[in-house]
Amino acid sequence: MNLNYSDEQQMLRDQVQKFCESDYSFNKREEILKSELGYDLELWKLFAELGWLSIPFSEENGGFGYGPIELSVLFEEFGKVLIVEPYLSTVVLSGSLLDKSNYAEKGSLIESISSGQSQISLAYLEEGSKNDHTFANTNISNSGSGLALNGTKALVLNGGNADKLIVTAKMDDNLTIVILDSNLDGVSINSYPTIDGQTCAEISFENVEISESSIIATGDEATNLLENSINLATLCISAESIGCMTACYLKTVEYTKGREQFGQPISNFQVLQHKMVDMFIESEVCKSLLFKAMLECESNESSKLKSVSALKAQIGKSGKAVAQDAVQLHGGMGVSDEMSIGHYLKKLIAVDALFGNSNYHLSKYSQM
Amino acid sequence: MEINFTEADIKFRDEVRAYLKDDYPAHVRDKQNNGIELTKQDMIDYHKSVSAKGWMGYNWPVEYGGTGWSSTQIYIFQTEFGLAGCPPLLAFGVSMVGPVIYTFGNDEQKAKYLPDILNFDTWWCQGYSEPGSGSDLASLKTKAVRDGDDYIINGSKTWTTLAQNADWIFCLVRTETTQIKQEGISFILIDMKTPGIEVKPIITLDGEHEVNSVFFTDVRVPAENLIGEEGKGWTYAKFLLAHERFGIAAVGNSKRSLQMLKNVVGELDNPELSRKVANLEINLTSLEFTELRLLSALENGAHPGAESSILKIRGTEIQQELTELFVEAAGEYALIYPGPHGHGDNAKPAGPEHAAQSVSKYLNMRKTSIYGGSNEIQKNIISKHVLGV
Repeated sequence: MNLNYSDEQQMLRDQVQKFCESDYSFNKREEILKSELGYDLELWKLFAELGWLSIPFSEENGGFGYGPIELSVLFEEFGKVLIVEPYLSTVVLSGSLLDKSNYAEKGSLIESISSGQSQISLAYLEEGSKNDHTFANTNISNSGSGLALNGTKALVLNGGNADKLIVTAKMDDNLTIVILDSNLDGVSINSYPTIDGQTCAEISFENVEISESSIIATGDEATNLLENSINLATLCISAESIGCMTACYLKTVEYTKGREQFGQPISNFQVLQHKMVDMFIESEVCKSLLFKAMLECESNESSKLKSVSALKAQIGKSGKAVAQDAVQLHGGMGVSDEMSIGHYLKKLIAVDALFGNSNYHLSKYSQM
Repeated sequence: MEINFTEADIKFRDEVRAYLKDDYPAHVRDKQNNGIELTKQDMIDYHKSVSAKGWMGYNWPVEYGGTGWSSTQIYIFQTEFGLAGCPPLLAFGVSMVGPVIYTFGNDEQKAKYLPDILNFDTWWCQGYSEPGSGSDLASLKTKAVRDGDDYIINGSKTWTTLAQNADWIFCLVRTETTQIKQEGISFILIDMKTPGIEVKPIITLDGEHEVNSVFFTDVRVPAENLIGEEGKGWTYAKFLLAHERFGIAAVGNSKRSLQMLKNVVGELDNPELSRKVANLEINLTSLEFTELRLLSALENGAHPGAESSILKIRGTEIQQELTELFVEAAGEYALIYPGPHGHGDNAKPAGPEHAAQSVSKYLNMRKTSIYGGSNEIQKNIISKHVLGV
């Protein structure tokens, strides 16, 4: 038993922290959000140069062969400054799915992600999915010359910016995962903003022609790839939430120390002190669940889904509680969009909504 | 990082399990398994058995007769005892006064008191709280006045756990009235048989006699019983509180209770209650990993300080919620009050087995968020020392 980060992991954290502190101020983030793309392409290239875009990929695919612990470190630090770059959709959801697949062309695709050339989004949700990741009305049928894709996918993270899409569909009743260029005829993309400053898209496919060689996996293999990728992404956004919660209590402590009312800093009031301690405790117990989950994602195939569900169930509740208290303790400033604090609340609400909310994961947990 | 214990740790865990299975006093275990209150003699038999195994000094260095175990071993030891349903080892001797004596006492005191603690030949109790001094412990008023080779002690202590069984009491007393109330406090050991000491029971909500008032009227105590320097008692008192950090989360005991609760709730077809149990299980997992994280940091050379107040707060909240959910599972049968020692000679009334003691246990556990520095005091500690407010 050893729950200390290795030197290498600590170095990664220091590197990410240094970037976040010096190059990602709240004002800078605001500027990025106003840009057309919604994220900073220059920073994305920097991520590639720093090697961050290859963190989870196996060494045979040119990655570092790192795992859930390193991803958690990265996301925890990202959460502290609310990074909006599309790491989750491209690297975690799409990249790790490709990395674990037996797809013949995965090498060049992963290379294009690692180098920052390509944005790939995973389109798996549909209206009516109800937390069943394998649900699909979208289908693939035989057409004269090859295969035809028809259907509509919802809530595709970063879908509007993606040059390639990984899509789940039914082919002869089998779950099938395919990859295609987003600019093919018959693909229409309606991109819209998300509550946490990113974008997602509704994407329709109308008789889109694809070939056999675009099939990544089918059947049980497809289900497993999808489940693993979403589970890893759930771990990542949970780690990100812990970064958000940490920032929430640190910023709140700082604010209450500086804000004077009744002739003294409001941090002198015990009722506020105990609220801030509660925020701290919630963050710490979530962090403890993160440790269990990331270690089991790394080495325990049989319990990794359960420990991630435990984590996500707790994150949904604690995250909202911590961020709401942070807004409350900032008083009127807390509801001002100019202050960063409310944006942590938005992020934590978004996290609860993604990949099954707190209630869903609690039910899932109690049935496992 | 490594989630699993080392081979050596597993071997150690198996040794603890083997002891609990083969050498632990059978009559005590039977009572534990059937939820029957342990008597004073049962507690003595239990502790003597641990002493005989050489494990009483489980958290002491080897040079004072302790085991010299690592933090991980201590964690495993405590958790396995908890999982087996053993009450935590009485802390007053081995975890409280013992470390104070071997750290601040003189050689005569070490020779006189430490072996009896390790052999459980003396039952210690703790004289800290007073009627007017609870969370504000340093405001204590029990007075010790020097008279030749003795101190003469007057005052009273309260909430003294199991004083009715105790041979000795360690007390914080005021030897001087000073501007700063923390100064002028001294740490002294008192034989409970000394004339002028009176113990009066306080009956708690569950009907149990666990705590007492202890009155001191002109109690003459040899000055050689003073630990360390006169007026430095507050330093020793704080040291003592910090020493009792791990184990307070009671992860092992709570895991055992949770398993029993899951067995009960599994039969009830009550989805709402099942969700609460699932939620509690997640909370307990987070507590377990919080303790393991602190242990890892400790073994890595860090000194987790006030963070460990989380263990007290969350550990006691979980202990309390477990009993609340047993009451909820009992449904209407929570109405029945069997008294602190069960139904005795009366025939057991109708109702499920698990319901019988549920309310008594619930009432008993209310103490946990109050004792050992109330949970509000723990939050003050975190606020000051972790958040820097």
